[in-house]
Amino acid sequence: MLTLIVLLPLLGFLLNGVLATRLGGNLVGKRFVTVVGCGLPLAAFALTVQALFELQGQGYAPLVETAYRWALIGGSEFEIAFYFDRLSAVMTLVVTGVGSVIHIYSVGYMAHDKSYGRFFAYLNLFLFFMLLLVLGRSLLVLFVGWEGVGLASYLLIGFWFDDLANARAGKKAFITNRIGDAGFLLGMFLLFYAVGTLDMDRINAAFAFTGASAPAVSASLVGILLFIGATGKSAQIPLHVWLPDAMAGPTPVSALIHAATMVTAGVYLVARMSGVYLQAPEASAVIAVVGVATAFFAATIAIVQTDIKKVLAYSTVSQLGFMFLALGVGAYGVAIFHVVTHAFFKACLFLGAGSVIHALGGEQDVRKMGGLARRIPITFVTFAVATAAIAGIPPLAGFFSKDEILWYALASTSGGSPLLLLVAAATALMTAFYMFRLLWLTFMGPSRMDHEVEHHVHESPWSMTGVLLLLAMLSAVGGFIAVPHFLEPQLPLPQISEALHHLHKPLLVLSILLALAGLAGAAVLYGGAPDRVEALRERFATAHRWLSNKYYIDELYERFIGQPLVWVSDRVFLRLSDRLVLDGTLDGLGALGRSSGDALGRVQAGKLNLYLWFVMIGIVGALLWSWRHV
Amino acid sequence: MTAFIDGLLGSLDTLLLIVFSLCALAGATLMIFLRQPMRVAIALISTMVFLGGIYGLLGVHFIAAFQVLIYVGAVMVFMVYVIMLLEVRELGGTRYSRLLVPGLIGFVMLLGVVLISIWRALPAPAGASGAGGNTAFGISEFSIAFLNEYWLQFELTSVLLLAAVVAAMAVIKVSRRTDKTRPHG
Amino acid sequence: MDKTQLLLAVAAGLFALGLLGVIVRRNVLVMLMCMELMLNGVNLSLVTFAQQTGTTAGAVLVFLTFVVATAEIALAIPIVLLLVRDKRTLDLDAYSDLKG
Repeated sequence: MLTLIVLLPLLGFLLNGVLATRLGGNLVGKRFVTVVGCGLPLAAFALTVQALFELQGQGYAPLVETAYRWALIGGSEFEIAFYFDRLSAVMTLVVTGVGSVIHIYSVGYMAHDKSYGRFFAYLNLFLFFMLLLVLGRSLLVLFVGWEGVGLASYLLIGFWFDDLANARAGKKAFITNRIGDAGFLLGMFLLFYAVGTLDMDRINAAFAFTGASAPAVSASLVGILLFIGATGKSAQIPLHVWLPDAMAGPTPVSALIHAATMVTAGVYLVARMSGVYLQAPEASAVIAVVGVATAFFAATIAIVQTDIKKVLAYSTVSQLGFMFLALGVGAYGVAIFHVVTHAFFKACLFLGAGSVIHALGGEQDVRKMGGLARRIPITFVTFAVATAAIAGIPPLAGFFSKDEILWYALASTSGGSPLLLLVAAATALMTAFYMFRLLWLTFMGPSRMDHEVEHHVHESPWSMTGVLLLLAMLSAVGGFIAVPHFLEPQLPLPQISEALHHLHKPLLVLSILLALAGLAGAAVLYGGAPDRVEALRERFATAHRWLSNKYYIDELYERFIGQPLVWVSDRVFLRLSDRLVLDGTLDGLGALGRSSGDALGRVQAGKLNLYLWFVMIGIVGALLWSWRHV
Repeated sequence: MTAFIDGLLGSLDTLLLIVFSLCALAGATLMIFLRQPMRVAIALISTMVFLGGIYGLLGVHFIAAFQVLIYVGAVMVFMVYVIMLLEVRELGGTRYSRLLVPGLIGFVMLLGVVLISIWRALPAPAGASGAGGNTAFGISEFSIAFLNEYWLQFELTSVLLLAAVVAAMAVIKVSRRTDKTRPHG
Repeated sequence: MDKTQLLLAVAAGLFALGLLGVIVRRNVLVMLMCMELMLNGVNLSLVTFAQQTGTTAGAVLVFLTFVVATAEIALAIPIVLLLVRDKRTLDLDAYSDLKG
């Protein structure tokens, strides 16, 4: 049954990919694509729910299903096996559930696109690989899924590849991912070397032993290497540069891949390998620091962005940072909880942005929006609910997960510290601020739209607004799904230091206050006259420039990594190795042959004297030889 | 007395042999050094005559006769005729080719190797060297053998000479034909 | 040093001198004459060995070398004449058409 869950989207990819594209000659129409493209993921979701009941039925002992044996090398077996336990259940439900509704949304969004079939084929392909990733038993299957979602991401970011910038964004995503994968692979090699298997449950069990029977490799080293892979996939510093550029793809893609599911693969990886990270305090500390730094850093950039999708992109990076912060202090279940709530509200936000863009006929700059609240009410309401959720206003979903993260950042005995809390709290404040800024600029206030655009503003079709409503509802009530409690038998929550026990309630109040402060700040600045914002921008012009240009990180990479690599490729590999050494050797050998031929040819000078001199020497040689042998 | 004359004649034999050998070698050496071809021809003729003398001392009289008759009388006369025909005036300084020094080095090596080979192969015998089978080289024995046992070789020599004549005539004919087609320059 | 050795030494000397002459002299006719010298040297050694064995075969062989020498010179000189007429010089350096 697990195998069927994984294979249904693959079937969708094959059917739509062959029949509905130019490859197969456009044999089928849109209805077929819709039915296959949305129906198969929904079927996968239904099967997942059934699997969950089965899991419950057998007391949460993990379901294991081996599809087939891939390779037998030496004494080690490599199988394609699927593993369903509490963690996989949560992830798979999110992937298939949120994935299915986003598919339904795409029916409306991409209705007028000329490559309708190809889009659904790619989406189903992505779903297939993502399910491989979350259901795989061994790191090998996970890695196949890892690479596959990277491929699907590349294909979908560059979906409208007629514009070269989109293709370049797709390339950037893929290549940045690959850099992280180098670390991932090294971690895999070390694990295999130390433990002898790549099955994740066995690895976790092996690392549970300490002392003499512990695996012969530093858990921290493995932890850091795997985290490098996660940095690439989940857009943490320093490999975060691809996510904002990935907004070039269609909005459903941004929602599905770059908000709800693919970017959380890194979080899933670390949570799954919790057995290793429990033994690796140094690695966990690194993860926590990188996570909170990324969160802060991305939030600062989001404050000044003017593209609606870019704000959400940086917001995603920031929220992912929060998740890694939770992982770093040992609160694995809480991180997964935040994955779930984030999937709800971020998908709602992205799809809402898509609805706005659809309504405005393609406009994405918030400076040209405004006053949309009454024109597209459903979109406005759902967007507002999701914004409140991400800001952390109770009792919406984001409040619960974010509060847990802040609490464990302070109080966890495995890495919590006040400094982490400070930075995280500042980030939470900024999150609330920029999200409400976005809400105000897009929907409230006087309209700054072009007249042509304003004329055509209309609410989106039911396929889109229906999904928005569903996701908004989930953002509202999703916090009451006690995910950390559900996962606790498998992913235990960290210990709380005794001294800080009494700070739980005050921290709760603090987080509510931060959210409200962000709301108030945004309302004051953006609800009033625009010159107030202008004055602020002029006061902090330099800071504004730095933030708008994303701290010039892309330029930094280009200058210090890109250009030296190009130099090395050009000078060392092309000119030196290829032309000088390789071509030179071959040409040299040819020239050597030719010149030796010329030299030897001079023997035949046509001079009788020379020939007879050789005869003389030959006779001498023959006689000398005869002395020895005759 | 006969023993003395025999002894004297024996020693005279060897002395003459040595003298003729040296003179032949001297003629050969002169050939290398002389500038004009006519003089070189004369030196060669002298060498050949001395060689004939050596053959006579060895007891092969008719071979000596043939040496002078054929070599000097036919071959060298032909050469002298051609030298006179071509009216060669040898210019100074172009006597030697570019391979003078390598040639000399090779010459020394060759001579050395051959002489050493001879010394090794034929050490000086204990007793006196015999005069060898003089009887076999009498002219009557030779003629009879030539026309009896070796009559095939005899016929072949005539064929060879005929072939040489035909070839010479062919060469002349070809040269005449090509001569007519070429413009006089 | 007995007679045979002396004669063979002379033969070797004549042969070597003839070969040297062919190598170092530039005039074509002189080269031809040096080749005759080589033949003579060989002939001398042939006579020496033939006299040692004492059979008639040796004498026949010597006679045959005479015949061959005659035939050879009968053809060599017309060829040289043709060459000279073509190149208008007796210098061997001019006869390098077959080089390369």
